[in-house]
Amino acid sequence: MRILLSFLCAITWTLSAAADDAGTTAERAQEFERFVNDYCLDCHSQASAEAGLDFKKFDFSPQQFGLVEFDSQIWETILRRLAGRQMPPADAKRPSESENKAMVESVASILDWHSSRVPRPGKVDALRRLNRTEYQNSIRDLLLVELDVASLLPPDESSQGFDNITVGDLSPMLLSRYLSAAQRISRIAIGGSQLSPGGDTIRIPADRTQEKHVAGLPLGTRGGILFNHQFPQDGEYEISVRLTRDRDEKVEGLTKAQQIDVLIDDALRHQFTIKPPPGGNDYTHVDTHLQARFSVTAGPHAVGVTFPNQSASLIEIKRQPFDAAYNRHRHPRRTPAIFQVSVVGPFNPNGPGSTPSRELIFAGDTKGGSSIDRAKKILEPLIYRAYRRVITQEDLESPLWFFSEGEREGGFEAGIEAALTAILVNPNFLFRVEQPRIQPPNADAKSRVEAIDDFEFATRLSFFLWSSIPDTELLEVAKAGLIRDPNVLEHQVLRMLADPRSRSLVNNFASQWLYLRNLDSITPDLRLFPDFDDNLRQAFRQETELLFADVVENDRSVLDLISADETYLNERLAKHYGIPHVFGSEFRKVKVPADSHRGGLLRHGSILTVTSYATRTSPTIRGNWILKNIIGTPPPPPPPNVPNLKEATTSSATSLRERLAQHRADPACASCHNLMDPIGFSLENYDALGRWRDYDGLLAIDSSGSLPDGSTANNVSELERGILLHPEQFVGTLTERLMTFALGRGVEYYDGPAVRRVVRNAAEHNYQFSKIVLGIASSEPFQMRSVE
Amino acid sequence: MITKKALSRRTLLRGAGTALALPLLDAMLPTMTASANTVAAPANLRRIGYVYMPMGFNPSPWIPKGDTLDQLPSSLQSLEAVKDQVCVLTGMDLQSAYPGSHATSNSAFLSAASAKRTESTDYYLGTTVDQIAAKHIGQRTQLPSLELSMDLLSTVGQCDNGYACVYQNNLSWSSPTTPLPSEAHPRIVFETLFGEGGSPEQRQVALQKRASLLDAVTKEIQRLKARVGASDRNKIDSYLESVREVERRIQQAELAAKDNPLPDLDRPVGVPAAYADHAKLLFDLQVLAFQGDITRIVTFQLAREASTRTYPEIGVSDPHHPVTHHGNDPEKLEKIAKINQFHVSLFADFLKRLRETPEADGNLLDHSLFLYGSGMGDSDAHDHSNLPILVAGGAAGNLRGGRHLKFAEPTPLANLHLTLLNKVGVPLESFADSTGRVEDLFDPVAL
Repeated sequence: MRILLSFLCAITWTLSAAADDAGTTAERAQEFERFVNDYCLDCHSQASAEAGLDFKKFDFSPQQFGLVEFDSQIWETILRRLAGRQMPPADAKRPSESENKAMVESVASILDWHSSRVPRPGKVDALRRLNRTEYQNSIRDLLLVELDVASLLPPDESSQGFDNITVGDLSPMLLSRYLSAAQRISRIAIGGSQLSPGGDTIRIPADRTQEKHVAGLPLGTRGGILFNHQFPQDGEYEISVRLTRDRDEKVEGLTKAQQIDVLIDDALRHQFTIKPPPGGNDYTHVDTHLQARFSVTAGPHAVGVTFPNQSASLIEIKRQPFDAAYNRHRHPRRTPAIFQVSVVGPFNPNGPGSTPSRELIFAGDTKGGSSIDRAKKILEPLIYRAYRRVITQEDLESPLWFFSEGEREGGFEAGIEAALTAILVNPNFLFRVEQPRIQPPNADAKSRVEAIDDFEFATRLSFFLWSSIPDTELLEVAKAGLIRDPNVLEHQVLRMLADPRSRSLVNNFASQWLYLRNLDSITPDLRLFPDFDDNLRQAFRQETELLFADVVENDRSVLDLISADETYLNERLAKHYGIPHVFGSEFRKVKVPADSHRGGLLRHGSILTVTSYATRTSPTIRGNWILKNIIGTPPPPPPPNVPNLKEATTSSATSLRERLAQHRADPACASCHNLMDPIGFSLENYDALGRWRDYDGLLAIDSSGSLPDGSTANNVSELERGILLHPEQFVGTLTERLMTFALGRGVEYYDGPAVRRVVRNAAEHNYQFSKIVLGIASSEPFQMRSVE
Repeated sequence: MITKKALSRRTLLRGAGTALALPLLDAMLPTMTASANTVAAPANLRRIGYVYMPMGFNPSPWIPKGDTLDQLPSSLQSLEAVKDQVCVLTGMDLQSAYPGSHATSNSAFLSAASAKRTESTDYYLGTTVDQIAAKHIGQRTQLPSLELSMDLLSTVGQCDNGYACVYQNNLSWSSPTTPLPSEAHPRIVFETLFGEGGSPEQRQVALQKRASLLDAVTKEIQRLKARVGASDRNKIDSYLESVREVERRIQQAELAAKDNPLPDLDRPVGVPAAYADHAKLLFDLQVLAFQGDITRIVTFQLAREASTRTYPEIGVSDPHHPVTHHGNDPEKLEKIAKINQFHVSLFADFLKRLRETPEADGNLLDHSLFLYGSGMGDSDAHDHSNLPILVAGGAAGNLRGGRHLKFAEPTPLANLHLTLLNKVGVPLESFADSTGRVEDLFDPVAL
């Protein structure tokens, strides 16, 4: 009876709401039809209708907007073209700015009204396994074990630009890996003994220059490496070091005796000496003695291997030395460099010691009572956090069985280790399970939608903001049923953004959104860009990450990503950009003068490099990147079998612009290249490594370009201004990317109204980052699901 | 060319970290030979391997002039020592890979299927030939198949426009919706083949622990099945299938651990810095896997389509992909030829090692078939006709080597796939768009 009552109430409510909204909606539909008649029919009608859209046959009738069957997809596409001022095109009759704006609002409100009548929050796969990054973070947060999981699990596939979407599978190979990973991680967490000493080898990229100080290592040192290593037990460990060789198997720069320091947590633990080989030619044995064994306590420690700085004065040579020094033929190393560091152990293990993991795991140990009761006390909170929901008696069965088995074989702690292994291979940990509660769908649209469970919500939130499991506080809020309370939710979102774990938004979300991950696979042509080395590659990444991190941490407006008038530099990067007075390896925020050509994202070496070829810039790739990731109107995929650009030959000094113009002369290419290339042209003053230039070879740079709305953009400032003129476009794109990442599915046309709502609300707060995040967390697609 | 210096043993020692390519192989030989005697003596072809090279070839230094391999063209020079067991095939194509792209070159190579154009999780391809073979002849070994590759880094937004990255990354698909991820890390491959090492008793104990963990997983997945909606139960069933497959592998490994005591070897720790050393290590592990009869089916992707890898060791310091859009620039064509030659030389070394390893009354190569090639012909146009294809091995199946088979009419690669599958004992009448078999490849014999 109560159900029927509320059902009736709902109907009367919707009917009355419909009564006045339907009228306005009808008016809007008429307005839109008039607009279409004025501006669109020339091209979009009858047999020759552009893009197959024939407005003569288009349905403008207002009745459809309240129906489930209403196809909003084409309307969303039209809205996007209008909002981007891409239609009508610049060379056609165009509405005034205010007329266009009114029409955009009008169409948007029709679509929003439809979505309020027929909500469609979309469906996320019910079973999604943690991807590699999420697994790594979850292990860190569950057990305080910091491991590089890349050596345990296979990489994930990327779809829609992110690697947390194609995660529904569980191949035999993956399952096998999960078993091995669980055993290894449990052993490390407890400090259990292993069959034989294990180890890791950390190699420094071959193209890293090691002449200068490395951030994090003591001042007065140069080169080398600093890394975190998880030492499984108290005991002795062997550290061995190999030096970098050149092509002739010689150690470059080894002209006199040198020291190598080995540091654990900044304390000097061993010092090696290396000398030039007697006779001076055979370098085979110059580093074979670089092995030291000393005791280290269990747990995570920072291992540093570096050279005390010796060089006294600068070497004077005829030409200016390159910034890069790692290759004998073009830019030789002046001093020896470290090739790799291996850590192997423990030898003579001396027990599990005291580690953060053990303190956490055994915190709940009552020390007295039956061992099974003790185990329960220890395991319950771990299972609660691992499965991210209230646990049942059944959930305890398997871990306790493994506990008993393990205890029988190797004592209490071995039992806990075995139980941990069982938890880590449990699908409730490995998978994010979301189960629909309403089962049989019926015809009523409202009933095909339901709210996700509070624990599912907490899990979505923590994987969105931390790429990891929720902490106890968030779980408790979910358990108390408060997580949907807007004030509580806001408080939790702000708390989570302030937590260091939100760094995953930078190195997991932003690095994929902005393609920073591709930097590692990019190697510019050495002959054209002799100054490039891994140091510069890493500095590029840091600059962009630090800007994004600043926006997250200080809750700045996301528009600052485009318009920032400061940036993050260290000496290496500042030198590359030609900005004086920045010294040392540490990054710092630097206010950059207007004429420095630096600041926002589009001026970052990282992005300018990942959108270039190894030998030259590509206005097409840059334009495409901006359309896709900043403006949000990606061009369709290229047609098959496209001819490629003719490379510049020495005989014909044609500019890239001229060669691209030839390409656009082909109508098949023009429709997209006319959008992409002119955007990219405005960035032509940045070379393939993001350096400012006025000439490309002998030809002066011509950076005249334009935006898809037809406005001119003749340099980076005008491009930025053009983008920020319609901030809702950029913020909408960022919101869509964030939402794709947060939901683990592609954002579809039916998500349009939700995205617009997030953007509208954020606009009232000058697009502060937290408002966008909160908007997404409060949105229908994030809190609800369609049941089909 | 690889200089002698670059392949000196010392370089390898340094390249592979603490455990090494050559010594690893040598150290394992005695025990593995012992194990080879325990398996049924192979009289016929019983294993098949597929090696993929990306982005096609420069045809003129690859295609032999006549019908024989008496004069090997420069790109294939390194096959000299084994050419009596190699055939060069020209004129084959992959119609299902059109419209031309990198994603489909890779995905159609072993499936001869058209990839559904999507960037989302609803990807759809076809079952690949190696997996068809795995279902027929792979069940007798610990691993039905082994999937290897060379690329450790994944990229975002750089897969072919319109195609999910799965098409470009995975050669091997066990069903139209199940791409099989490949492994590039030598240590992980080693552990997949041989476990974590230790004495036979220790390995038995470790395997039993895994088996009981797996039991727990089965139980929990079944609990989950009761909770999820009807539409997701199929997925759960596929998980349970994976569990059973891993169980089977553990059982096989337990059997092997009993009969086949492994020496306590150093596992490879890192990934060799030089491309050639890395590839060689992975080829060596394949030799070991064949020798120990741990698997009979291998796929190996030498690099991804659209890879931007540079090969400075052979004088190509420009990234591979842009070079392959050569626009008939002789300098670029020359670089493509160098990369082709380099890749083939790694494969040739592998064939030589197989031939040097005795098995039954012959050697490993005699009882194996290999298909080497690319899903792209002319990379400048993303074209999928006139593919570079080599077939090697197969003396036990009477492969008539030393020949250049030139198809006057474009012939589907599926014909070759079908022929090779039949030869290793898969009774198929047709495969994908096959129109017949490449009968000419083998001596006519009654099977």
